[in-house]
Amino acid sequence: MSSTKKNLSEKESLQLITEMIGKAKSSYHSNGTGAIMWGIVIFFCSIFTFLEIQFHFDIGFDVWWLMWLALIPQLVMILRSGKNKHFVSYEETTMGYVWWAFGASVLMQMFYNHLYHPHHSESLFLMLFGMPTFITGGMFRFKPMIIGGIICWILFVISLHTELKINMLLMALAALCAWLIPGIILRKKCSRAAQQ
Amino acid sequence: MEFKELDPILHSQLRLAVMSLLISVREAEFTFLKEKTNSTAGNLSVQINKLKDTGYIEVTKQFNNNYPQTICKITKKGIEAFENYVKALQSYMHPGGN
Repeated sequence: MSSTKKNLSEKESLQLITEMIGKAKSSYHSNGTGAIMWGIVIFFCSIFTFLEIQFHFDIGFDVWWLMWLALIPQLVMILRSGKNKHFVSYEETTMGYVWWAFGASVLMQMFYNHLYHPHHSESLFLMLFGMPTFITGGMFRFKPMIIGGIICWILFVISLHTELKINMLLMALAALCAWLIPGIILRKKCSRAAQQ
Repeated sequence: MEFKELDPILHSQLRLAVMSLLISVREAEFTFLKEKTNSTAGNLSVQINKLKDTGYIEVTKQFNNNYPQTICKITKKGIEAFENYVKALQSYMHPGGN
């Protein structure tokens, strides 16, 4: 696009607008790293808690506090991606707020559980997991995450009728469906887009 | 049949492309605009300055890792002008409509 003098017809103008908006929209790709990492962390913590209950052992601390450790690579990823980014989309900004709100809600829920030890609190996590996953899937029209979000809510309903040990398996399943699998699909899509 | 006048600032291929990109994102770097519009740096720079002088976009210059960075962002005035431009285009495409 070197000339600015070219006389545009009305149709050409509309075509150009559509093309540029399409280019801007298709420029944002998530590589799925965050989803994969959190999927693995939640999956691991859930399975570990299940094993602790099943085989009656205790490592002396709550394995779920590993989530704090996972925040470090997450922050590094955010800082790195910010440095290499050439634009900021509205969707990305909105998603950032949604996931920070989710993170804050999970932390508050963890503190609440730590203080009051409510019954079936793990069900509430499943409900919380579904919310940002469903919104992200809907916003980016990414079906695996929409389905993942719905699965979290179905698992929430099931978990109301099952015991803690089983709920840990449900939580591991939620992590697989909501983050790990969609994250792997995103990563593959991103690699394919990078090759083209 | 009434035809709305097309904004001459926007009715130019490269400036319209830049505005279309900027209306879709919160902010964008000069390099992003250059890549997407497939334009030369000199030409793009001139057109960005025109858009800036009209008040349609904001341009911020900063340093990132010791490299100069030019960030462009559409203004409220720019959004209104873009919307009016699209409405005017529609009046040409569908002269019978309102």
